[in-house]
Amino acid sequence: MNAIFLVDKDSKTELSEALKTRILEIVNEKGHNIEMVELGRGDSSPCLGCFSCLTKHPGECVNKDMLNEVKKNAQKYGMTIYMTPVIFGHFSSTIKNAIDKGTGSHNLQVIIGYGGDIDDEEESTFIDLAVKHRGSADIVHPGMDKQVDVYITRSIEDNTAICEAFKSYL
Amino acid sequence: MKNICLINGSLRGKEASSLAFLEDVNRKLSDTEYNKTFLTVRARLKGGYPEDMLQSMAGADSIIMVFPLFSYGLPGALMRFLEDYYRYIQAGNGYNKDAGVYIIVNCGFPRPRTIAEAVRVIKNFCRRLSLNWRFAVCIGSGPVVVAVKKVPFLHMKLKKAYAEIASDIKSGDRGTRGDYFIKPILPEPIILMIKNRYEKKMRLADEKSER
Repeated sequence: MNAIFLVDKDSKTELSEALKTRILEIVNEKGHNIEMVELGRGDSSPCLGCFSCLTKHPGECVNKDMLNEVKKNAQKYGMTIYMTPVIFGHFSSTIKNAIDKGTGSHNLQVIIGYGGDIDDEEESTFIDLAVKHRGSADIVHPGMDKQVDVYITRSIEDNTAICEAFKSYL
Repeated sequence: MKNICLINGSLRGKEASSLAFLEDVNRKLSDTEYNKTFLTVRARLKGGYPEDMLQSMAGADSIIMVFPLFSYGLPGALMRFLEDYYRYIQAGNGYNKDAGVYIIVNCGFPRPRTIAEAVRVIKNFCRRLSLNWRFAVCIGSGPVVVAVKKVPFLHMKLKKAYAEIASDIKSGDRGTRGDYFIKPILPEPIILMIKNRYEKKMRLADEKSER
């Protein structure tokens, strides 16, 4: 399987780096390919909502930035992993731009949120934001995304649990 | 004179449904009673949002954010603005903690409760900054609502919601308020049929241009 791993490079923490490293090790140990993309604020322009990527030139964004390259190749990946700090229960703007532009594989998306001081409501918001309306709950495009899973890490113990869960994907 | 900061969270310019809703609520707010500032999120930034924009929000007595739902959450451009604002405040810059925050969010889905998580994000933002969260106006099938808004007697609930924003700002109330959920006037199956026809038309146009 080919996988792509998008991280917010401006918001790294010890926790996120430790988890990222371990996930890369697991994927490589299992013999799969994983491409790492570290996105900074300058690499990730926001979605304009123009719908040109759905109508005029499907699969391609009007903004020819790093995200456009990821988007053009999205379907060659069996898995897209997004790693983002949890901010007010939401993705960081950098990662949100990637999600908005449809860079995720329709096969499997794994969203990992991290942060040292996420409160319970922020955690709950983040989880619902990521998965509540996907799949068959999406009445406009039902089943467009086959599977979207979400995890949150606030500690090394959470990292360990996520790594165990990861092995089941491979 | 109270300061009101109206934030357009859409990058679609004049075509934005959000702009139409922002103009609607603005008309309910007297130009002589309030000092209004209009901010629009940006697609291109060098080093973050400029300080004058962040100051406008910091000095507001009322903040009204109007934005489209993107992937069930905030558009990335608006999220960037809130991140920069949060950093600005964390850096020690002063702001009005009593500012009342209102949002008007529209989505393409016919069910306005799809917007619930975006509302929670803004509530979390308000809680982090101890701002006075007021209420949300959630609009399903925003473009449809905009298309028919000049038809008399339609969407009375939306018009009432705008009036409530204006009245709440005037009174400076701090009590808990409920959110407004505005469903489009067209039944859901018809909206989905329109959506499917539109997408088919666009696909055919694209195939034709490729030949």
